[in-house]
Parts: sequence; structure tokens; C-alpha cells
Amino acid sequence: MTRRGRTLFSSFAVLALALGITGSFVLLALFGSPSVQAVLLRGVAVSLILFLVVLFVRYFSLLWFAYLGHAERNLAPPHHPRDLPPVSILIPAFNEAKVISEALRSLDHVEYPEFEVLVVDDGSTDDTLELAAAWEGRRGPARFRVVTQTNAGKAAALNTGIQQSSHPFVFCMDADSRLEPQVLQMAMRHMADPSVGAVAGNVKVRNRSTLLAKLQALEYIEGLNLPRRAQGFVAAVNIVPGPVGLFRREALEEVGDYDTDTFAEDADLTLKMMAAGWKVVYEDRAVAWTEAPERWIDLAQQRYRWTRGILQTLRKRRGVLARPFPDFPLWVSALQMGFEAVLWPVLNIFAHLFFAIVALVFGGGELILYWLVLLTLLDLVAALVTVSMEEESLALIPLALAYRFVFVLFLDVVKALASLEEVFRLDMGWGKLERTEAT
Amino acid sequence: MNVVDLMITIVVVTILVTIVLAVVTYIAYKLRLAREPGPGEESSSALRYFVTHDPQASRTPSAGKKRASTA
Repeated sequence: MTRRGRTLFSSFAVLALALGITGSFVLLALFGSPSVQAVLLRGVAVSLILFLVVLFVRYFSLLWFAYLGHAERNLAPPHHPRDLPPVSILIPAFNEAKVISEALRSLDHVEYPEFEVLVVDDGSTDDTLELAAAWEGRRGPARFRVVTQTNAGKAAALNTGIQQSSHPFVFCMDADSRLEPQVLQMAMRHMADPSVGAVAGNVKVRNRSTLLAKLQALEYIEGLNLPRRAQGFVAAVNIVPGPVGLFRREALEEVGDYDTDTFAEDADLTLKMMAAGWKVVYEDRAVAWTEAPERWIDLAQQRYRWTRGILQTLRKRRGVLARPFPDFPLWVSALQMGFEAVLWPVLNIFAHLFFAIVALVFGGGELILYWLVLLTLLDLVAALVTVSMEEESLALIPLALAYRFVFVLFLDVVKALASLEEVFRLDMGWGKLERTEAT
Repeated sequence: MNVVDLMITIVVVTILVTIVLAVVTYIAYKLRLAREPGPGEESSSALRYFVTHDPQASRTPSAGKKRASTA
């Protein structure tokens, strides 16, 4: 059997294990002796009460800290242009011919006195290098440069860019990102504090033509930016996202740039910086627009990689998880990362299954209806608050009705399966997403 | 069937269908991944690319020249 065949076989074995565990639970609940059923259901009921408590605590603490972060955000105007230090913008690109030109064109509108743009072609086999090279040497607001390397992965490409660039601040973006004109000025305001090592920007979904993309637009606001805003309040953002992040070169050099041994190089670098004592903050007005997957299979692929990458990062830093002190914010960040990647999805799946079984077998349908109404109300409130904070389209709010029971549940199943694969350390690849050339 | 029962049915069916859909999508993703060319199989296209841009093969200024100087 080939290596690929073995990997596929292992994946299906893991899937069978997951289905087996879930199926055993369901069968015991349905056909076990009355005493077994009673014990099982009592245990699950207690777990679910705990689940609901955790859910409420999670929601309200996130909303509360996000509100504090929003209320106390830095509203000072940007520095005078003459006081702004030069920035190197890095764009790692592998087979991004469909989107690279538009990304480079968006940089023409960036309002910043001095910056250079460095495209790092990671051994593309399409026209990425030619298209990027057409911009090389061009001068306007920025000087464009292109370097290329044998394919070595995104983290290695970013490291090449860091080494080849020279300015004291480094801004990393993706080849499918489109930057808002004020993005650098807004992010740079935080660097006035010399203890800030990185600024996480605000990623928004650009393509919103399909229901799936619209759900992701809501998810980015409610599910990703809300926690980031809450973490920003304590200067402990645990992921500086790939599409928009500003770094202090001194901090990058201190931690040794990106590690190339995980599939979530952004999360890994962020935790490294926090462990080294640098503050990592969030700036909601440093906006980059990104392209979201428009097919369920592509979404599954993206989240599979994110989940396994985050778990690889946590495995590398498992010592942090075991020691709350002396670095309590780092511990909380790592813990939250693990909680959101593994524990929460598994709890969510079992909660849904439990209520479905109770409704089907024991006739407790009202229970699931109350639960539905409760969670939907909670999601609507969260959507309303976060959409207002971001000054986003109110048309996204009604999507909260389908958010939890379809979208989040789908993602949680994928995350749980990806987590299981990571536990067994199965082989994985980057899995290049197909671009749609949306503008 | 009253409205409450109808809603309960819709919710339960939605949950179960979503879980099944997620598992099926995951399987489809794994099968697609297995069909994609591996790193070794991609070498032929990489070779084509190198031939096109090899600075030794072409003396005209091109992206290939940059590749050689920066790789």
C-alpha cells in the first residue's frame, strides 16, 4: 500500500472510531437495560447542565470583555506621517495567479508615507511569479520586489521575506487579501508602546454572494473577531491572523521568526511572542478583506488544517498549559485555544445528539425546542452586538438563525475529526484552496 | 401534527442531516486529497517551470533571472 493509501486508510479508521464511539453511546441510550439507560442519561444530563453553564459563561465573558475592549480601544488619531516608521509588507504566494494582481493593486491605495512590498513566491507552478514580477521595481507609494524560492511552505516563505526585507516593522498579509487604505496607520498606532510586539488586524469576508460565504462573514465577526477583541482587552490575542498582522522586527528576531513545523504558523508565532513577554493587541480598524471558501468541501479542508495546526502548536507548548503561573495571560490564551479547537466542538456535537435522541426516543421534544430558542436568542444577541461594534451590514444578523444548528455544528464535526487525526498524528498536507478570483 | 411538533421535527432532522453532511463532506475531502498529485508527481510541472525560467537557458531579463538570483 502506498503512503497516500495508508494515510487515507488511517483517516477512515479514525472516522470509524469516532462513529463507533458515538454509535455505542446512542445504542446504549436506546437499547441498554433500564439501569444502564438511567445511569447514562443521568450522566449525560449532568454533563449537559455543565455544558450550558460553560456556554453561558463563555458567551457572556466574551461579550463583556469584547465590550470593554471596544469601549477602551485606542481612538487616538494616527501619528503625523513624518513620525511613522517605514514598513515592509510581505506577501507569501504559492499558486496564487488568480488573485495576486488584485492584491498588489489594492496596495496602491494604502495611505502610508513609506513602505516596501515584498512578494515571496514559494515555488509556484502557475503564473504567480510572472504576474508579481510585472510589478517589480515599480515605484509609487511603495517599492515592489519579488523573490522566489523552492517550494518550502508558507512559514518558510514568510521567513525568507523577513530576512530579505529591511524595515523595522513587518506587515504580513495573504495573497488573496485586500487591504483598506488606513490599515497600516491604524495598526502602527499601537507600536508607540514598546512592549507591543504584534498587532492583529480585523479580517472580513470579501465574497458574500453565497449563503455559505455569508455565514462565514458572520462567523468572522461573531466567532473570530469577538474573542480577538476580548483578548485584546488584556493584550493577549492568541492568533495574529495571516491576512493582516503587523510585527515589530525586534520581536520577530527575538523569537526566531516563524517555525516551520506546524500548519498554523500564525498561532504558533503569536504564542511564541507572548511567551517571550511581548504584548499582542487587536486593532479593529486595521481591516483586510479575505476570500472565504464557497463550497462546503473547501471549508472542511480549511478548518481541518486550522484545527490540526492549532493542536500542533499546543502540543509544542504543552508545558505552558501545565503552568498557569507566572504567565497567566499566556496560559489563558493557550487554554482557550485548546478549548475552542477540541473540547467545545466535542461538547457541542454530543449536546446536539443528546437532545435529538431525547426528542426522538423519549418524547422530550419541548426540551430541544427550548434549547433551540435559548441558543438562537443568544446568537442573535451576540450577532447584534458584534455587528454593531464592527459597523457591519445588519443583513447578517438573521443568519444567526441558521448559524448554530447548521454552520457551527458542521464545523464542529470537522474539527472533532481533525482533532482525532492529530491525536493519532496522521500525515497531512497543506491542501491548497481553489481561488474563485472574487474581487 | 401541531406547530410545536413540526418545529421539533424540523430541528431534529436538521441536526441529524447536518452531522451526516459533515461526515460525508469530510470523507469527500479525504478522497479528493488522495486523488491530488503528490509532491513527487508535481516535479514534472516544476521542471517545466524551471526550464521556462532558467537564467542559464535564457539571457533575456525575465522572472527566471530573479529566481536564480534569489533562490
